[in-house]
Amino acid sequence: MTVNNKNFAPKLSVELLSNYSVYVAFICIFVVFSVVANGFLSIDNFANLIANKVVLLAIVSLGMTIVIASGGIDLSVGVSIDLASMAFIMMIGAGFNAVLAVIVGILVAACVGLTNSLLINKLKIDPFLATLGVLFIGKSVQQLATHGGSPIYLTTGAFSAPFDAITGTSLFGIPTPVWVLVVCIVAVYLALHRGKFGRYVNALGAQAGVAKYSGIRVPLQLTLVFVSCSVLCGIAGILLSSTVRSYVPLAGGAFLLDAIGATFIGTAISKERKPSVFGTILGVLLLAMLRNGLLLVGWNFFWQQVGIGVLVFIVLGLSFGLRKRTE
Amino acid sequence: MNSIAVEMRSVSKVFGPVKALNQASLIIEYGTIHGIVGQNGAGKSTIIKVLAGIYRHDEGSVFVGGKELKSITPKSIEECGVHFIHQDRLLVSTATVAEAIFLRNEPRFGPFINHRKMNAQAAELLKQYFDLDLDPSTLIADLSTAQQKIVQITRSLSQQAKVLVLDEPTAALVTKEVDRLFTVLRRLKEEGIAIVFISHYMSEIENICDTVTVLRNGENVGQVSPKQVGIERIVTMMTNRDTSEMYPKRSIKVGSPVLEVNNLCLKNHYQDVSFNVGAGEIVGIAGLLGSGDKEVLQSLFGLTPPDSGSIAIDGTTHQLNSSVNAVENGIAMIPEDRRAHGVAVSLSIAENISLASVNNISKGGFINRRQEAQSVNALIEELGIKTPSGNMLVSNLSGGNQQKVVVAKWLSCDSRVYLLDEPTVAVDVGSKIEIYGLINRLASEGKAIVFVSSDFEEVAEMCDRILVIYKGEMIGEYKGGEIDAEQLLAAVSGKKITINRSAL
Repeated sequence: MTVNNKNFAPKLSVELLSNYSVYVAFICIFVVFSVVANGFLSIDNFANLIANKVVLLAIVSLGMTIVIASGGIDLSVGVSIDLASMAFIMMIGAGFNAVLAVIVGILVAACVGLTNSLLINKLKIDPFLATLGVLFIGKSVQQLATHGGSPIYLTTGAFSAPFDAITGTSLFGIPTPVWVLVVCIVAVYLALHRGKFGRYVNALGAQAGVAKYSGIRVPLQLTLVFVSCSVLCGIAGILLSSTVRSYVPLAGGAFLLDAIGATFIGTAISKERKPSVFGTILGVLLLAMLRNGLLLVGWNFFWQQVGIGVLVFIVLGLSFGLRKRTE
Repeated sequence: MNSIAVEMRSVSKVFGPVKALNQASLIIEYGTIHGIVGQNGAGKSTIIKVLAGIYRHDEGSVFVGGKELKSITPKSIEECGVHFIHQDRLLVSTATVAEAIFLRNEPRFGPFINHRKMNAQAAELLKQYFDLDLDPSTLIADLSTAQQKIVQITRSLSQQAKVLVLDEPTAALVTKEVDRLFTVLRRLKEEGIAIVFISHYMSEIENICDTVTVLRNGENVGQVSPKQVGIERIVTMMTNRDTSEMYPKRSIKVGSPVLEVNNLCLKNHYQDVSFNVGAGEIVGIAGLLGSGDKEVLQSLFGLTPPDSGSIAIDGTTHQLNSSVNAVENGIAMIPEDRRAHGVAVSLSIAENISLASVNNISKGGFINRRQEAQSVNALIEELGIKTPSGNMLVSNLSGGNQQKVVVAKWLSCDSRVYLLDEPTVAVDVGSKIEIYGLINRLASEGKAIVFVSSDFEEVAEMCDRILVIYKGEMIGEYKGGEIDAEQLLAAVSGKKITINRSAL
């Protein structure tokens, strides 16, 4: 890199803008909606936002962050969410112990990740295609298991005890699902940014050949990557079905694009454009705030999608486009 | 008609600190086969890429058919009748033979391609030039490398090529195919076409070229006729260089064998390879492209496990079936493709250095950052990596410094055996000398070093022992100082070299 003194000042501000585009967007959205959207700036609204919108997407996005950091992508997060949810609800409905139901739900999700990693490691299929295939199969499995996709409702009082224990309890005034998210954030942060695992994952994402030539067990690391993503999705699936007290087939698919979006928006906070836990959480909050704000000003769901698309363009355009020009 | 097809006058090209071409000239006449020879980095491919319009020259002028070309693009040079058969740029594998020959020149029927006519013409051209009955609807992917070369040449001829530039055309061919190619080249020469022939194989140059331009360090050191001056003289012209300052001397004290390789075999690559490397010893494996030298190295690193034979480190036999395994047993690899296998340029220096030794600096899965910083900083200082801190990205380092990061990675995990695959590829002369110093230092610390390089001068100068591999077989062993680059070049081509041992 050469420093051209003549253009130093404008270059610096462009660089600042490109490195802090996420924060700038965050502040802008917060300020704009605080002014124009009635009810946006209130503790109730934020508590509701976090409990209902942020927790699930954030947990799924954490999983996606691990996968994207390793240089891959997981299109089957919805399948992990749905299958965990299905197994959990079916077992509760059949009268099994709730703890057992949670464990089985997470194990079922882990199997999805295991399938992905087998396809990637053994058959050498690209993660995009491997997880796409699992996505198709997972959808069919749900439809076959539920007579073409009819939901399972457990809304009667007989089943409410386990759901109440998960969604109705709180600690220090903070609801249990939010605590679950906090635990997930800490765990993924430690693994990805402080642990050996994160080193290997980043090396894989940066240059898989170097990882291999450094004696890293690449297949094992990829298995851990995809299984941990699926497990996180499984946790999200159980929280989801506990909230709605039912299993709705194919409901998890809605998280896929938001999780990818949040992770990539999050990459804009680092100079090297690497996925990070902090960036992803920021991305999730950004998306949730934007959706909420647009809803409050009266935009319907379809226009919200347009808003998110524009946000992605602006944030990533600023950070990547400007960065290119400064190089 | 002017008899000079291509003239390049005092052409220079600079890449950063490296002068790839320094006032080099090239004169090629019609109706001749003109060889370009030189060692790796001598500027052969650069001068060709300048002519092909891939690089823009900084100085000098280029004339084709007597006309000066101000700016050259790959398209404009082809329109001047100069066609290139590049070594690595092959054909689209999903196209048919006819499609490849007529790409962008397809016979048309209105807006549509006239496939029947195209196939008929393709078959006719192949028959006419090569006397070859090849179904023009065969897929390129189904052809042998020789057939692909033939299709490429046919394509050029179909466009009325007047000058044909062949870059290492025989690298992947077997003898019979080479003979056929040479027959065709001689016939094309008779028809008045100028042919530029670039090859590492001296016997081929001697066999087919009328004149040879010798390049050394980017400079033109002469244009000679191989039949008059003989191949020995040309090799001398290629390698002659003051080597005393390039290769620092060290006193050799070889310890007990660290690496023992016994009867290693890998079908179609190498057979019955056996050798030992002692502590502090640098053993070179010299061979031509495809001779099996790289494959032996790959097997020693567990990447392509051998079919049979054994590898022992410090007297213990190990089954090396993955790089994980090799690294655990103290084997280190400095790979040829540094950016793909050596360093991850988008990671920091520290992350790269500790990649293979994360276990040593972590406890219970967590990395001890202070310990990491200590060991990384010590290595940065020890090897003289030019960086303000270990947190800098490797992409900011020069090639030589990146190579030091690779070495630091292995020093951090106490590897005993170092496999060096073209360690000085794509670095400038200054960095080369630093890397030689580094290799000597590894040796003096008692590491066992296996050295593979296509630069025979550095092999001859650096190694304590040199093993010659030819078509997958070890055919000779020489002591350091016993053989020079010229003799080594002859030895790897399968010629018997007699060494006057009493003179030493």
